[in-house]
Amino acid sequence: MAKTIIDAHNLSKTYNADTVPVKAVQDVHIHIEEGEFVALVGPSGSGKSTLLNMIGGLDEPTSGSVVLDQVEITKLPENKLIDFRLHNIGFVFQSYNLIPVLTAKENVGFVLQLQKIPKEEREKRVLNLLHQVGLEDKLNSRPGELSGGQQQRVAVARALASKPKIVLADEPTANLDSKSTANLLDIMAKLNKEEKTTFLFSTHDIRVIQKARRVITLVDGKVESDVQQTPK
Amino acid sequence: MFQIAWRNIWRNKSRSLVVISSIVIGVWAGIFILSFSWGLYQNNINETIFKQLSHIQIHNPKFNVENDSKYTLSPTDTIMTQLQADDRIASVSNRIISNGMISSPTTASGVKIYGIDPLAEVKQIGLDNNVKKGAYLSAGKENAILIGEKLAKKLKIKPKSKVVLTFTNVKSEIVSGAFRVAGVYRSKNISLDEVNVYVLKTQLRKLLELKPTESNEIAILLKDESQLDAVKKYSADLVPDGKVEDWKELSPELGMIIESFNLYTYILTGIILLALTFGIINTMLMSVLERIRELGMLMAIGLNKRKIFIMIMLETFYLTLVGSPLGLLLGWVTVSVFGNIGIDISMFSEGLSSYGFSSMIYPALDNQNYFIIAFMCLITSLLSAIYPALKALRLNPSEAIRKI
Ligand SMILES: Nc1ncnc2c1ncn2[C@@H]1O[C@H](COP(=O)(O)OP(=O)(O)OP(=O)(O)O)[C@@H](O)[C@H]1O
Ligand SMILES: [Mg+2]
Repeated sequence: MAKTIIDAHNLSKTYNADTVPVKAVQDVHIHIEEGEFVALVGPSGSGKSTLLNMIGGLDEPTSGSVVLDQVEITKLPENKLIDFRLHNIGFVFQSYNLIPVLTAKENVGFVLQLQKIPKEEREKRVLNLLHQVGLEDKLNSRPGELSGGQQQRVAVARALASKPKIVLADEPTANLDSKSTANLLDIMAKLNKEEKTTFLFSTHDIRVIQKARRVITLVDGKVESDVQQTPK
Repeated sequence: MFQIAWRNIWRNKSRSLVVISSIVIGVWAGIFILSFSWGLYQNNINETIFKQLSHIQIHNPKFNVENDSKYTLSPTDTIMTQLQADDRIASVSNRIISNGMISSPTTASGVKIYGIDPLAEVKQIGLDNNVKKGAYLSAGKENAILIGEKLAKKLKIKPKSKVVLTFTNVKSEIVSGAFRVAGVYRSKNISLDEVNVYVLKTQLRKLLELKPTESNEIAILLKDESQLDAVKKYSADLVPDGKVEDWKELSPELGMIIESFNLYTYILTGIILLALTFGIINTMLMSVLERIRELGMLMAIGLNKRKIFIMIMLETFYLTLVGSPLGLLLGWVTVSVFGNIGIDISMFSEGLSSYGFSSMIYPALDNQNYFIIAFMCLITSLLSAIYPALKALRLNPSEAIRKI
């Protein structure tokens, strides 16, 4: 049986608890195994971002716990948590993913540099990843010189650079046209298969949902459905 | 990270230029103010030594206390010959001094009467250079007197006017003598100009009834100031019953003036550094706030807070690193240029010259001080970067990313 990689228990988040409480996430249980390719869907304001942020340790839950690969990250002190993120989680956001002053190559290499991986190995992995996302000809371009789709591909390469067990992506395709969206999804699906990296991504986009093998639907901060499907 | 910080500062060129130029100006202004006050200080000391006090003066110890002409040094001639023979000494002169009254037809005023040897004082204090109207004293014109411009105005007299000096002689009898104004002088020290008058030593001696071997003051000018202590000791041995003092002991108020100028210098430097602080806090804060999302992303992907902090500090450090050498260079050029041509402060010198300042200032600065200033600006800018950097630390990554 596959190993549990994400385990969220009784996870709740209430904003503005003392003024106008907003229950963004309520009592969510999620259990994801290694190598899954999961879409998190739901209407706007249903709590997708909040949930992803808590799972990724960017946000503290009001109650409940998150266990990633047997580490209860909700109990880690801040600096340990940042370190844990560095080594175990890759993030792809909707935008502002890249460091504007660094080239594509340097952006992908950045997390490796933070991990103190020697230069030669770093170089090899970066080139390999950028090749996999089809950007071998844009190595030395800065983010400003890349299209939105290309930027998101660099972001995916960056997220995967440290060989994380989990990649969390919050609406990675929201700013992309349909062609770039399909392209990015194919790349993510391929890396998911090849590297056995677990992907959890939120989306509104029906075409993106179709590519997932499991779809968790969130409504008003609660899990409404959780179904396995065959990707199209 | 060093690379990111370095490239970050070139992202917003105009803002970086603002920071760099404020550092340049800070360093430059610091250098200028320090060198200017150093120039002022040197000028003041030189003015005091070469135009007024000389390096060393010898008096009868009682003369210092009671200011009475009867307390003299003797035998003056022997002492003078021995001092003149010493090759560490540039020039020596001796004077007879009495306190008294000067009266013109209209009014009277208290004065300090110096009986001098006109030729000796040319070398000693350049007195002849100060004569603005009329002529300098010369041997033979027995009743000639040299008075200050300010005193002349007060007494409403001109060269050739008649005045009467009244004072007590060594037998404590009141004597007076009629003099004719030979010349009017103006020194750099206006307050002394109102008090000091000069007559021939021979004449004053006669009126005071002093012996030819007696004098009240011996002034010594050195060739090299580093010999000060040695010559002081030598003079003390030569005149065992005299009191030997150097210019610092003779003019304690000089030290006070210098100290108050130092205070102004510190205050001005403080203001400059404060301005620098606000400039840097402001711009660095702007640059942090502008990059909230980016910083949030950096934290999310694993850049810990210490590194974020270091990054912001590094950015400021790099800006300072670019700015300081420019400021140093500019400051050095300014000091070199004005150090040669001098700065004319005669606009303000009416007030200053009453303290004994001359109106040309030659700024100068030790190499060491250049680096102290640059170092202070560096410290200031790093200190002022702390607040923006801390602000960056307080960001919560999830909120930072959410903000548009
Ligand atoms: N920092 C915050 N303070 C207060 N309320 C917040 C905050 N962040 C989110 N919320 C609220 O929490 C709820 C869930 O927000 P969240 O961003 O997780 O939704 P979402 O599913 O990601 O929406 P979208 O699809 O528009 O991105 C919303 O009602 C939102 O208004
Ligand atoms: Mg969202």
